[in-house]
Amino acid sequence: MVNLTIDGKTIEVNDGTTVLRAAQSAGIEIPTLCDHPELTPYGGCRLCLVEVEGARTLQPSCTLPVSEKMVVKTDTDRIKEARKFVLTLLFSERNHFCPFCQVSGGDCELQNAAYDEGMTHWPLSPGFNTFGVDASGPYFILDNNRCILCRRCVRACGELVGNFTWGFEERGAKSYLVADYGVPIGESSCVSCGTCVQVCPTGALIDRQSAYRGKDFQVDTIPTVCIGCSIGCSTTVGIRDNNIVRIEGRWAEGVSGGILCKVGRFEPVDDNRERITSPMMRVNGELKPVSLDEAVKSIATVIKPLAGKNGHGVAAIASTRLPVETLHMFKQIFADGMKSDMVTSLEEGWSTTNTAIFAEETGKVFEGKVDSLDMADCVVVAAADLANHHQVLGFMVKRILPTGTKLIIIDPESNDFDPFAEVKIKATKGTFADVFAAIKASSKNQSASELSAKCGVSEDVITSAGKILSESEHPVFIYSRGLTAKEGQPALAGLVDLAESYSGSTILCTKGKANSAAASQLRLDKPFDVGKHQAIFVALGDEDPSQRLIQRIEGAHFLAVTAAYKSKLTATADVVIPVEMWAEVEGHFLNIDGRIQMVSKAKNLPEGVAGNNETLKAIANELGVSLTDDWKKELTSRSSSMVIS
Amino acid sequence: MAKPKISSDWLAGCAGCHMSLLDIDERIIQIAELADIRATPITDLKEPDESGVDVGILEGGVNNSANEEVAHRMRSRCGILVALGDCAVFGGVPAMRNFFTLEETLRRAYVETESTDSGGMIPSDPELAKPTEVRALQDVVPVDIFVPGCPPSPEVIYYVLSELAQGRRPDLKGDLLHWH
Repeated sequence: MVNLTIDGKTIEVNDGTTVLRAAQSAGIEIPTLCDHPELTPYGGCRLCLVEVEGARTLQPSCTLPVSEKMVVKTDTDRIKEARKFVLTLLFSERNHFCPFCQVSGGDCELQNAAYDEGMTHWPLSPGFNTFGVDASGPYFILDNNRCILCRRCVRACGELVGNFTWGFEERGAKSYLVADYGVPIGESSCVSCGTCVQVCPTGALIDRQSAYRGKDFQVDTIPTVCIGCSIGCSTTVGIRDNNIVRIEGRWAEGVSGGILCKVGRFEPVDDNRERITSPMMRVNGELKPVSLDEAVKSIATVIKPLAGKNGHGVAAIASTRLPVETLHMFKQIFADGMKSDMVTSLEEGWSTTNTAIFAEETGKVFEGKVDSLDMADCVVVAAADLANHHQVLGFMVKRILPTGTKLIIIDPESNDFDPFAEVKIKATKGTFADVFAAIKASSKNQSASELSAKCGVSEDVITSAGKILSESEHPVFIYSRGLTAKEGQPALAGLVDLAESYSGSTILCTKGKANSAAASQLRLDKPFDVGKHQAIFVALGDEDPSQRLIQRIEGAHFLAVTAAYKSKLTATADVVIPVEMWAEVEGHFLNIDGRIQMVSKAKNLPEGVAGNNETLKAIANELGVSLTDDWKKELTSRSSSMVIS
Repeated sequence: MAKPKISSDWLAGCAGCHMSLLDIDERIIQIAELADIRATPITDLKEPDESGVDVGILEGGVNNSANEEVAHRMRSRCGILVALGDCAVFGGVPAMRNFFTLEETLRRAYVETESTDSGGMIPSDPELAKPTEVRALQDVVPVDIFVPGCPPSPEVIYYVLSELAQGRRPDLKGDLLHWH
């Protein structure tokens, strides 16, 4: 520990703490622009200058480590003058005219800093140099004229997302932000995760969808969890007049600590699908609006007599984007109440069944926590496409590679992470179990030649993978349904066996959609087979029905759908009941590493929309099925590959 | 003590700051009781007294030789010069044109604009003021008090006027400090 004095206050902090963080921990505010709590200090803006006793010049507090008996002052006239001068220079460099900037009036850290220093004007008039504007990206615009060169975006892109798209060209005041080697953003390696947009202190990076739609103080910010995939990143949803304005990550919270991907940040705001706003029933061949009561009764009338008719009764299928509460009710109605043998989820267990069976049979809890990646010195990606699915997990892998973490990719297909891999194992399909066995053998200094030959991989490749793993203290193995669904149980058994041979190893599975794991725990995971079922109930939530689902359901005697949006499926249904879209949903989701997370309702339902739970309750009531809300017990009653809490 | 004389004028602005001044509504009477409101663009008298005024207020940036003349005249005739609004303080929205050359902006305005039928010409009558880059007032004459805002709110303007009318210097901070 180190003791120092800041503004007369005695403070004790850990060795290596910066003066800025020490001051913040004691409640002393020092203005900054380039600093961000999630990023490595950079010392670029010079707004955080402080006076240190004995030092000849003012020191940037964000990069200055504390030392014993240091005496720091943060609010002297000399410092105030310096801050004004720093801001004066920043304003003079580019186009910082506020009236035509979308962050002015609350959301601009530069403007706020000037207000805090009481600046009524710019002592130096700007030079009116022009810089480029890049509007080639799908979700955000770069206006270099608003840039203050703080490099938060550059650091965020590299340190948090591992993408390293952003960089600077030229030097000094002429510097400007470029993607890759100066290509338009839309043609660059940018993955549109938007982390740079969230950290930008000025209006240099502009979110196309939320610009001019409301400043922070005009928008209700609801903390919740993303249901774009099974990771379940912590988000805030900004709502103004019941419209979704923007989605941001919550720093230092949840699974991913604030980073999101485009699936979580931008795509949900960019949704132009048409809502269903009233229950509907087919009358004389056409869907007509009816009351919820009529719709529910018509469903109950058809399916009540089908109770217990195995194979020719009612088949029910639910989205894995629905909360556990809803899935539990759904299961109670159709599996327990109607005694149907065909109650499952839209994922049909593709991502989870083999994992669940393996966990049940072996009794092993073999999957760990996502944050194990922070410590990982080797990551083995087995048939998982982290560049395109579960992208945040991919970011968490890519960002640790510069620290020396070795990446091993085992994938028969080409994988977008191949260029970053130390070892690429392109094994013949169907031989994953042998690949794992070969690596294990080689890392234990046994011969792997026979096994290597079996999977069509040179022994050298296997040996180098084995060597990396044997030298690794915290290897993390990531697999997806590419492994379990395509390569089967033996491949998973091989992976677990390999991982277990290294103490300190962790296994992670990407799973499927947001509540993939919960659907598995509730055993809503069997392949969907319409067969001779007389009636079909689809709880679609806000999903788009797949072509495959529509084809399989075609020709059913009776189809009831609960859905948020109009689709080809709702167009063919006999009864349609409107429900919530993601931002209106409230309930729990079981994520990729076993966290039961609460998703909060961010906006109100449109008038006339009852919602999933209310609809299911009404149906249960008509059917005479009693419901319990003991979903938590149900969620943990099946043995799982991960610790659920 | 005689009531302080206040005079105002406008340069390259949109008149919005003077509209905001009128938005102080009946409080203008209080100001008139405390101060002698002389020449303004919205009163009959158009030029500040040659004998001088205590406070001169200018709205707008300086974007041609006529503005320069008005600015210099006000500066030479007033005690305290107030830059009112973002254009006078920073250059404001008109200063956007500084990112282009004067030739480009004139061609755009008089020749290439969609509403120009045919044969648009850049006016060149020697009687016309000569256009320049748009400058903040402080780049042309020394300014004593800066009142930013686009426009400054009536509350800010009332505060500034009432302070000046009572012989005090307004100090804009906290809620009163907004650039637009």
